[in-house]
Amino acid sequence: MSAGDRARDVLARLVDASATERILISLASLVLAIAVGTVLILVAGRMTTCSAQSAVYYFNVGFCYDPVLVFDRLFLGALGDPFRGGWSPDGQFSIAMRETTLLIFTGLSVAMAFRAGIFNIGTQGQMIVGGLAAALGTLWASPFLSGTVGTLVLVPFGILVGAVFGGLYGMIPGLLKAYAEANEVITTIMLNFIAGGVTLYLVSDVFKDPNSPANQTVPLPDYAQFPAVLFGSRQDFSLYALLFGVVMLFALYYVLEHTSFGYDVRTSGIQPEAAEYGGVDAAKTIVSSFALSGALGGVAGALYVTMVIGKFQAGVPAYGFDGITVSILAGNNPLGVGFAALLFGVLKSGTTVVQFATDVPPQLVGVLRGLIILFVAMPEFFRLIGRRLLPEEDKSRAVATDGGERIADSRASSDGPSDGGVSGGEDE
Amino acid sequence: MDRRSFVKVTGLAGLTGLAGCTGGPGESEETTTTEASGGDGGEETTTAAEETTTESSEDTTNVGMVYATGGLGDGSFNDQAQQGAIQAEEDLGISFDEAQPDEVSQFKTFQQQFAQSTNPNYDLVCCIGFLQTDALTETSEAYPEQNFMLVDSVVDAPNVANYVFAEHEGSYLVGQMAGLLTTEEFSAGAGSTSSDSATLGFVGGVEGSLIKKFEAGFKAGAKAANGDVEVLTNYTGSFNDPAAGKEAALAMYNNGADIVYHASGNTGTGVFQAAQEQGKFAIGVDRDQSVTKSSYADVILASMVKRVNTAVYNSIESVVDEEFQGGGIVTLGLEQNGVDIVYGDSLSSEIPTSVKDEVAASREAIVAGDVEVPTDPSDV
Repeated sequence: MSAGDRARDVLARLVDASATERILISLASLVLAIAVGTVLILVAGRMTTCSAQSAVYYFNVGFCYDPVLVFDRLFLGALGDPFRGGWSPDGQFSIAMRETTLLIFTGLSVAMAFRAGIFNIGTQGQMIVGGLAAALGTLWASPFLSGTVGTLVLVPFGILVGAVFGGLYGMIPGLLKAYAEANEVITTIMLNFIAGGVTLYLVSDVFKDPNSPANQTVPLPDYAQFPAVLFGSRQDFSLYALLFGVVMLFALYYVLEHTSFGYDVRTSGIQPEAAEYGGVDAAKTIVSSFALSGALGGVAGALYVTMVIGKFQAGVPAYGFDGITVSILAGNNPLGVGFAALLFGVLKSGTTVVQFATDVPPQLVGVLRGLIILFVAMPEFFRLIGRRLLPEEDKSRAVATDGGERIADSRASSDGPSDGGVSGGEDE
Repeated sequence: MDRRSFVKVTGLAGLTGLAGCTGGPGESEETTTTEASGGDGGEETTTAAEETTTESSEDTTNVGMVYATGGLGDGSFNDQAQQGAIQAEEDLGISFDEAQPDEVSQFKTFQQQFAQSTNPNYDLVCCIGFLQTDALTETSEAYPEQNFMLVDSVVDAPNVANYVFAEHEGSYLVGQMAGLLTTEEFSAGAGSTSSDSATLGFVGGVEGSLIKKFEAGFKAGAKAANGDVEVLTNYTGSFNDPAAGKEAALAMYNNGADIVYHASGNTGTGVFQAAQEQGKFAIGVDRDQSVTKSSYADVILASMVKRVNTAVYNSIESVVDEEFQGGGIVTLGLEQNGVDIVYGDSLSSEIPTSVKDEVAASREAIVAGDVEVPTDPSDV
């Protein structure tokens, strides 16, 4: 058997893997990543110097960095040490949840577009635009209201404004792709730069907070920011936002799997020509998918502004790009995005704990984080490739689809697409 | 290669690789090296004696450092701050831990972690960079017992010592030097100026009131030296984009500028490259860049040093001496040696004494209060 055949076999097995198998594969990848990371930490620990007391000893060899401590901090420390006494959700746990919440939205944004066969690399830009719009909108509206009423009105208003502007910004590459056949990868990347540049100009000049040396807007009043509930106030986290994110996970899942709009999106993603032949308005689907994707990115921006930093500041962290990885990790499945975002959020939270608790340089922690994500994402990535490559050789696979997903995977939605029209609307 | 021999070879290579590494814990604590990634000064080795005292004694002063985004190894701002901590470790026997945030939202996380920590209990948390202002406003309120220090900005709280710099004063001096040299036929190292143009350049990083202080001082100094001088200005929008810095500087040199001053962090590396290509001069910032970027020493006339290390060191010293004063603003200008002009390592001897004398005279005038340097370029 040649190497090529063997590779094709492995791909085919991956594609056919059941949900349980996929979870097992992911767990095995995680263990493997930790094993490789352990070796890296040990080697790095031999390459620096440290005092004898601060070193750890394995098999009578001293190492400067302790892999057990590093991974303990990276995972358990990230969650605020749930297995030690005195665990409080208000500590590091809130930070992990905060990052998870933001990544849910950027991950959903990317997944939405990917399912439609659109490579939206522009979630970052849509998030930036949505964030600035949410900040300015809320600032504009905040003098009219105050107190609890203010919170009840202003926070949803901010999210709505973020969603609208993020969506509009997402529609630009959508229109360009649908009506001018511009490659969306290029346009979205370019639009990221434009979003960053224009917002930097706006907050360093027109909307700048005169009292701050940083390029930022005036801080939002307290009542216009996401309220913390039960815990999380010290870490800028609100349980409401996380719940909102979880609701959106299911909402997007429902939209994609159980509505006619979702059916159009999925079929266009898998076989655009066939979808169009089957009566799907390709241009309309592209534009609306992009708008929905951009809106989700815009909500992420709005949450970053109203929950995390309480104003818009130039230099928004790369949640949008992380969203691409989150989405791939989740196999572009909205429900999977929740788990992938959680893994990512824990890793992001853990990075700061490791840096604080050990002498391991942040660059090495970044490498460990990258290893874990790479290892966990690769099986899914090869599955995606396999699904694209294999049907061409084996025609029976292409036939065996049901509503854009292979039958084996879509047991849950077996009643879905054909009567999806019943549940109706094109929108959420 | 079949699988088994692959495993064997990898295993062997791994073992030899590990054995070959020369690091690991020191045998008898002879020397310890600090992890100064960007440190290229000669002052960061600590001796074992101090190390043991710091670790054995219970009442060691512990300091937490929260750096600006960009982290260590930037060759200017953060490394300069680290120098202050390293110096305090040597002189005062303190010990310090470091955190390098890479996102704005992490400032608060690290500040809180240091403030919360009880093992060790941190006596001072140094926050480097103005972007930490908002985070520190909240953290200092939540931890009223914790001492903080902040560089480059002001938080009005009783437990925060604020250190700001009079960057415009130091920039005035380099501006004056540049203004005097641009109309002369001056040549040294790899650069030269021509007398037929009185044009200078300023390359900034991200536009903001802080960097504008550099620009204002530079322009004012240049105007004081020569009323006809023209200063071309460009903000690249980044502190870490050497290509943009080079492009901006090349445009200035092509428009007749002889000397370009930059206040743009790593972007300035591109300015030095452009100067070398064009056979013109540049002026460094934050540290003596003719030393830290020694490959460009033949075009760096001088550097406007901003001694963030002094601020860090002074604040640590005040904690060690139990004289920490929160709530105040310490301005480090020329008078306090917080900023200064440092002539290039290899070009210093070539700069005419008359120029140096005039610069020294202005330095005294500013310290004495006879010359008021503007902080906003529009006031020049």
